[in-house]
Amino acid sequence: MIQIFDGAMGTMLQQAGLPAGACPELWNIENPAAITSIHRQYVEHGANIIETNTFGANRIKLTHYGLSDKVQLLNMAAVKAARAAAGRATKIAGSVGPTGKFIAPLGELSFEEAYEAYKEQIAALCESGVDIILIETIIDIQEMRAALLAAKAVTTKPVICQLSFGADGRTVTGTDPATAAILLDAMGADIIGANCSLGPAQLLPIAEALATATTKPISIQSNAGMPQLINGQTVFPMNPAEMAAWVPKLIAAGVTYLGGCCGTTPEHIKAISQAAADAVKPTLRLNLHNKSTAVTSRSKTVYMGAALPTVIIGERINPTGRKQLSADIKAGNFSSVKKEALQQIRAGAHILDVNMGVPGIDQAAAMEQAVNELSMLVDAPLSIDTSDVKALEAGLRIYPGRALINSVTAEPERLEHFLPLAKKYGAAILCLPLSDSGVPATASERVIVARQIIHRAMAIGLRPQDFILDALVLTVAADERAAAETLETLRLYRKNFGYPTTMGLSNISFGLPRRELINAAFCAMSLSAGLDAPILNPYNPMMQDALSASSVLLGHDQSGRRYSKDYAASQAAPSADKPTAIQPGDTIAAIRQSVIDGEKESIIPLVRQALAEGHSSLTITDQGLTAAMNVIGEDFGANRCFLPQVLLSAETMRAAFTTIKETLPSAQAVIAGTVVLATVKGDIHDLGKNIVAALLENNGFQVIDLGKDVASEVIVETAQQHQADIVGLCALMTTTMPQIDQTIKLLKSSGVKARTIVGGAVLTADYADQAGADAYAPDGVAAVNLAKKLMANEKALL
Amino acid sequence: MPIYYPILTHIDIEETRRYAGIAKTPNFKTSMLQKVCTEAQILVSPAASWSIYPYDALTGEILANVPLQLSAKSITKHLANATQVAVLAVTIGETIEQAITDSFAQGRYTEALLLDAAATTAVEAAADQVNALINQQALQVGLASVFRFSPGYGNWDLVIQPEILKLAQGSSIGITTTPSCMLMPRKSVTAVIGLVPNHSQTNLQHSNNSCTNCCQTTCHARKESKNDPNI
Repeated sequence: MIQIFDGAMGTMLQQAGLPAGACPELWNIENPAAITSIHRQYVEHGANIIETNTFGANRIKLTHYGLSDKVQLLNMAAVKAARAAAGRATKIAGSVGPTGKFIAPLGELSFEEAYEAYKEQIAALCESGVDIILIETIIDIQEMRAALLAAKAVTTKPVICQLSFGADGRTVTGTDPATAAILLDAMGADIIGANCSLGPAQLLPIAEALATATTKPISIQSNAGMPQLINGQTVFPMNPAEMAAWVPKLIAAGVTYLGGCCGTTPEHIKAISQAAADAVKPTLRLNLHNKSTAVTSRSKTVYMGAALPTVIIGERINPTGRKQLSADIKAGNFSSVKKEALQQIRAGAHILDVNMGVPGIDQAAAMEQAVNELSMLVDAPLSIDTSDVKALEAGLRIYPGRALINSVTAEPERLEHFLPLAKKYGAAILCLPLSDSGVPATASERVIVARQIIHRAMAIGLRPQDFILDALVLTVAADERAAAETLETLRLYRKNFGYPTTMGLSNISFGLPRRELINAAFCAMSLSAGLDAPILNPYNPMMQDALSASSVLLGHDQSGRRYSKDYAASQAAPSADKPTAIQPGDTIAAIRQSVIDGEKESIIPLVRQALAEGHSSLTITDQGLTAAMNVIGEDFGANRCFLPQVLLSAETMRAAFTTIKETLPSAQAVIAGTVVLATVKGDIHDLGKNIVAALLENNGFQVIDLGKDVASEVIVETAQQHQADIVGLCALMTTTMPQIDQTIKLLKSSGVKARTIVGGAVLTADYADQAGADAYAPDGVAAVNLAKKLMANEKALL
Repeated sequence: MPIYYPILTHIDIEETRRYAGIAKTPNFKTSMLQKVCTEAQILVSPAASWSIYPYDALTGEILANVPLQLSAKSITKHLANATQVAVLAVTIGETIEQAITDSFAQGRYTEALLLDAAATTAVEAAADQVNALINQQALQVGLASVFRFSPGYGNWDLVIQPEILKLAQGSSIGITTTPSCMLMPRKSVTAVIGLVPNHSQTNLQHSNNSCTNCCQTTCHARKESKNDPNI
């Protein structure tokens, strides 16, 4: 039977006379008759679940009205008012809405504060006799997790979890319906759904997405269409018949709990109720993913299973045997952890294993920080890799997704402490077949131990889609049966259980040379034997090759499309990135080309070679480096190359100069001129000015760079002190442009003879003219050319 | 006044290319761009604050406790149909600024330039997220949003920056202004989003290509637009 909720409460209260801006929940004690009357109307119009007037009755929201100490009172009164209207078959759902604040690290409210506030409210509702807890209109999955954990902590009554999604099909903090359904189902939500924010047309695809990801009942309570603001009033346009027209479609999508949100009235509920009674009854939904195990982040789900593409679990966030990473974690510096995370994802990892096993630290605190930072940085789900139960709970509690626990063994202590945490936080578990009696040597023994873990897990309520089985990898150099037993374990796992499988591959090659070769070969063999989600180092190119090729061979890469895309280029002609070959007798040309190509690495041996061949530093500079920069300058002027390429060439040229200086310390560079450079007072931008400085230096100018926010007096003084030939001034903003005028004026009045070149984003040639500058440079390359030209003019005058 | 710390799970390489002025150079070392985008992602600390105020389109006044008069034509025209405005401030923090300076000082000019472009991409992406949050919040009450407009766009003078920052309560996330009205940290943004009753959206400026309204027509990061009167 389709269950029918009521409709909007807020607008009904306003119609009943609740003043704008007043606390709606306060009427539970001040005007309970009005509340009961609204409930009664809904019951009379077909609702069989009515929602208490407690949407904002949590401590955090009530603070806004100075009522934070009235949580118990307002919730109790609300349930009483609802009960007074309920018929014999009417259920009362205790409405629990958002706190109105974002939970850290997205906002300022701590997870525990949110959890405590929800616990207090839900306990009050349950004590007052509600039948169901309805957590609704939540826009952040972390807030939903806090509320659901709180509900589970205080009651065994059914809990409905309804999120609000945007028009893009995600919550504002990025969670899609399938990801939400997988996580909330695993955490023990009894009914999963969506309400508010959208009309039935927009909520239909969301209902469909929810229904593919969970077999739990689906609830949908939409607004009466998308709101409009007319004469200062928010108006919801859908009439009851229009809304009811969507009911058969929602039921066909799998929805069995229907109601209304903003803009709906008792008439809407009557129409919905009638339409539901007339609709074709829903069929039992099958779990589409019952042969796979899914883990999620806040915004992404990764499925593992026999019929699915191989999932890579990146193993690099692990300080074992890595001094620098250990030291960083110990010092509370998580930059290297973050770097490993991003690089592994770039290298193809789908899930990231997180191990904080640094001896002598508070592992729970480190795990909490790592999970917090990573949840803001990557959308790959996390695997929490620890044997420390406190670290495990710290990570699971704070993670806004469904994590993988790495690992649960058959050791009594692990079973006792880890499994309840998996259940509570909705995590998947990696079952590692180790027991008190040690490591089982044969495949059949491993199956027995794995079965023990699964039985214990099922007994406390874990489900088939919560398992990943580890086949256990021993070292083949120590035991020639090691690989064979692992492969056989994979086959037996597939045959006996059908759950997805995993294992840490690299242990197989311990003690052997060319370990990557053994690892890659073993990876290919294991994938064929039934390995679904290897834990590995994704940076290893040979392993990547083995994975890509295996993906084609196992039929996961249709027609080898992805393989072809990734590997076709490697058959092509040698890459243009390769250093230019040095032709005997053509070293200067090679130097020129190297600067043009911006090949910093290849210039150093080339310069050394040129010097060894007897070329003077002047020849190398003039015919090699400067000539190359002239080409680059022309290309830049003609839009054939762009600033980053010019800078690569400049870096290459700088490396060449350094090499000349190192090899021939006596080599004298000719100074093309002295330039004082500054970003004017009040302006804090200096990247552009720095670029000009670098290019000028490369072209033989002596540059005195005064930095940014420089007072005109300092510029004048420096120009005088160094007898500058040129003063370069830079301003980026309209507010600092007048400083250009002022500085030029002061330079002139102080008798400084230096020529002035000005530039910067907002400057124009006209502005430069009126400011009295000698030249305007639209970019760094132009500045160099102008500087050369001004120096040439100076010389001509002499 | 909400405070929000946006999630940046990636920094868009194509946008970084555009801000670095190499949108038309697809062969420019992708590995280097990837490296700086990763680096930037580690170095940024995105944070945002905003407040929503009633707005009088007839007088151009943001009706805060101390009202703010908008006089520049570009902004008043942009807000012509708005009944409310969201004033926001977004930053990605100071750390990346230092890294850009350090890279340049150590002779890694290209990396510094690309890191600067990645930082711009990051602050804009963070602002996009907050923009989306505000849009959704507005939609709940029947308001549609026009694209965000920052001091300095069109003829809207930068001198208003301190007032706008104050309305956004940007100091709560560590943003300040210099005497010359620049934001510190440098990679920060303030903007105003006009909120317009949904039914009057026929005249909405839907384009979010803010380049169209910018007079820096030779800017290397300018987005191409068919409707751009300047192209």
